[in-house]
Amino acid sequence: MSEVLEPPLAHAATGESPNQVETLRQRLGGDIQLQETADGIPNLWVPRNRLLEVMRGLKDDYPLLFDLSAVDERVRNNRHGLPDADFTVFYHLISLARNSDLRIKVALPEGDSSLPSLTSVWPAANWYEREAYDMFGVNFEGHPNLYRILTPALWEGHPLRKEHPARATEMDPFRMSDELLDAQQESLRFKPEEWGMSRGAKHTDFMFLNLGPNHPSVHGVFRIALQLDGEVVVDAVPDIGYHHRGAEKMGERQSWHTYIPYTDRVDYLGGVMNNLPYVMAVEKMAGIEVPDRAKVIRIMMSEFFRIASHLLFFGTFAQDVGQMSPVFYMFADRERLFSIVEAITGGRMHPSWFRIGGVGQDLPEGWDTMVRDFVDYMPARVDHYDKMATKNGILKRRTIGVGQYNNAEAVEWGITGPGMRATGLDWDLRKQRPYGGYDQFDFEVPLAANGDCYDRCVVRVEEIRQSLRIIRQCLNNMPAGPYKAEHPQTTPPPKERTMQDIETLIQHFLNVSWGPVIPPSECSVMIEATKGWNSYYLTSDGGTMSYRTRIRTPSFAHLQMIPLISRGFMIADLIAIIASIDFVMADVDR
Amino acid sequence: MQWRLVKAEADAPMASADEVYQEQVAKGFLTAKLDDLVAWGRAHSLWPFNFGLSCCYVEMATALTSRHDMSRFGAEVIRATPRQADLIVIAGTVFRKMAPVVQHLYDQLLEPKWVISMGSCANSGGMFDIYSVVQGVDKFLPVDVYVPGCPPRPEALMQGLTLLQEAVKARPRPYSWIVGEDGEVSKYQPSQRDARTPVRMRVTELEEPGNVGDAPLSKDLLRQKSPSPATPGRDGTGRRR
Repeated sequence: MSEVLEPPLAHAATGESPNQVETLRQRLGGDIQLQETADGIPNLWVPRNRLLEVMRGLKDDYPLLFDLSAVDERVRNNRHGLPDADFTVFYHLISLARNSDLRIKVALPEGDSSLPSLTSVWPAANWYEREAYDMFGVNFEGHPNLYRILTPALWEGHPLRKEHPARATEMDPFRMSDELLDAQQESLRFKPEEWGMSRGAKHTDFMFLNLGPNHPSVHGVFRIALQLDGEVVVDAVPDIGYHHRGAEKMGERQSWHTYIPYTDRVDYLGGVMNNLPYVMAVEKMAGIEVPDRAKVIRIMMSEFFRIASHLLFFGTFAQDVGQMSPVFYMFADRERLFSIVEAITGGRMHPSWFRIGGVGQDLPEGWDTMVRDFVDYMPARVDHYDKMATKNGILKRRTIGVGQYNNAEAVEWGITGPGMRATGLDWDLRKQRPYGGYDQFDFEVPLAANGDCYDRCVVRVEEIRQSLRIIRQCLNNMPAGPYKAEHPQTTPPPKERTMQDIETLIQHFLNVSWGPVIPPSECSVMIEATKGWNSYYLTSDGGTMSYRTRIRTPSFAHLQMIPLISRGFMIADLIAIIASIDFVMADVDR
Repeated sequence: MQWRLVKAEADAPMASADEVYQEQVAKGFLTAKLDDLVAWGRAHSLWPFNFGLSCCYVEMATALTSRHDMSRFGAEVIRATPRQADLIVIAGTVFRKMAPVVQHLYDQLLEPKWVISMGSCANSGGMFDIYSVVQGVDKFLPVDVYVPGCPPRPEALMQGLTLLQEAVKARPRPYSWIVGEDGEVSKYQPSQRDARTPVRMRVTELEEPGNVGDAPLSKDLLRQKSPSPATPGRDGTGRRR
């Protein structure tokens, strides 16, 4: 057993050699401490008074601010050799040119948890800092509007602090009184002055329109306050948090195994693809090597869900710009696809089917017939939809040139996935950093050039074809062998291992009742999810539950960019822009 | 309505005047209690509000599209504004930040109005016993039908809808606000589980376990390919290329 509890050796999976890290550290100055984590990403602890200077210096090398959040360190036991901190704020930076990552960490004491805001360096830091403020109470000095972003304006406390209750049933029961209703409604009133907006210009009075949180075209509970000059959008303020389900806090009270169903519901159109970064991160920390069959099954199911998600995008996108019928065709095909998902996993939208160390079951007999039927049937349908929807003149006129951004802006705002590739940036994690066995597959990365609504649609349609190609390769080359790893931490363990003697029985009992114990370590894994780059950054304190689960979702960054790309367009164009981003609110608010 | 087939025979006796009179009376009149008549009409003209909160809404949308086609049950006129709707399906998690908005929308629905709580989150909070989630929409709204599932299958929502229709028929609501005793007189509601378990357990055909390729689902869905609109050689106008 003892070899299992050793954290696996860190390896430079992200292309940064120890020499480069050392050079970087020398360049930044002597008071910077290096920390190694299981994912191989170098972590540099920077004193907060030097943060702005260091970050400004790093921006040219690492232009993409991938993630920013915090950790409440106050009750963490295993922090050997790390700087003293009550709260840690971390910044995950990515260099696309060198394909490498860097994490910057800042230690903060409890009584004085404030540090300079990075909004002047990265505009994308705005929402991330607001979230860290909302969740941890960290104060970012110089932030233009440091308001709560996920919890209601009248919320008390900071939910991800360890002293904040996790369960609703630990708190006073919710009661809807007239006073509460009035106070909440009043707090939702949009005040332009708070956002630095004027109520009128020289020759016009602006109208402020409230779109959402319940509106047929905003794809979920999402609100945008619009500043309008006639029907032209002058500015927009997205307001999120109506779909905040506390998924990160949930990770701190579910065992490593029982948290898997919660990941399904983060990007609820992505199904089992959400399980993938989570179980891969846990496996990396536990040192589990997944057998080939499990890898290929995972890839096949993930690509099925990519198709399901893109089909829903395609249908609703066409509907939002005025085509009524495509959505009916695409939902019918989703049902065909779900019949396969159901036959294999037993579930539809949320199968929660990946496991730590493998998948839930082996493939049923006859799965290949169903999958072959589908991959034979679907390409002609995609061609048909392409002709029916994307080649349609009205759809083109409504979307070409609308909501455009270039690849520099995409990087600046942390736009990933199809939205990034629509600008011509050839970056697909499945190609650039093949994970979970994608290096064995032959497929292309669809690109477009203009980065407008139309291109985002075209890229996704082509991705459906490529996913079908990957699924066909899975079908023709499905390896034989076990679907679960031979490893004590595999959850639940293979049944054959359990009934041997008292030792294996106890092992099984503990593994099922407490769940696996993951050695103290930190690890993040990112994947190319349906909507962009999704990463789970897990911190284990050597227990049966995660100490901190950070979920970086693509849609959060994408929504932040809406004002930038919708200024100057009409309201109807804004609807096309919103549809072309392809988000679900659970993927934004978690 | 009564009708009969008669052969065209010239010497057959004609219906008597009294018979004709009785027939016309039967055609032209319907006797019923007004309450029942209105309730029957209401049950089959529910106008749902286009409202969704999270994952469940995707399954609700699936129930509305081709495969399941909820309009077969007479509830497909989805309205974009609550002021034109009388049914709200709480499809998804009720968030604390969203609860006042849900209440506001409910208040704007037309009377009489009905609520279907769809999915575990709306029923009880479900797996999300977490600070930001109201533990069930019935903490502040009166719920008529609970549909279990996470998310419920489209078929489950349709069953919930038909249950609601039965309830609307059986339990008429006041036409408007009334002075004095308000609300409906609810009979004992039998548990659906108790009522249906005997039927559900009466399995007549068992599929061979572990073999999905020959399951009827697969055959229906994939083998019998419907004639694709994109038949090769023809474009949208039907002309040969």
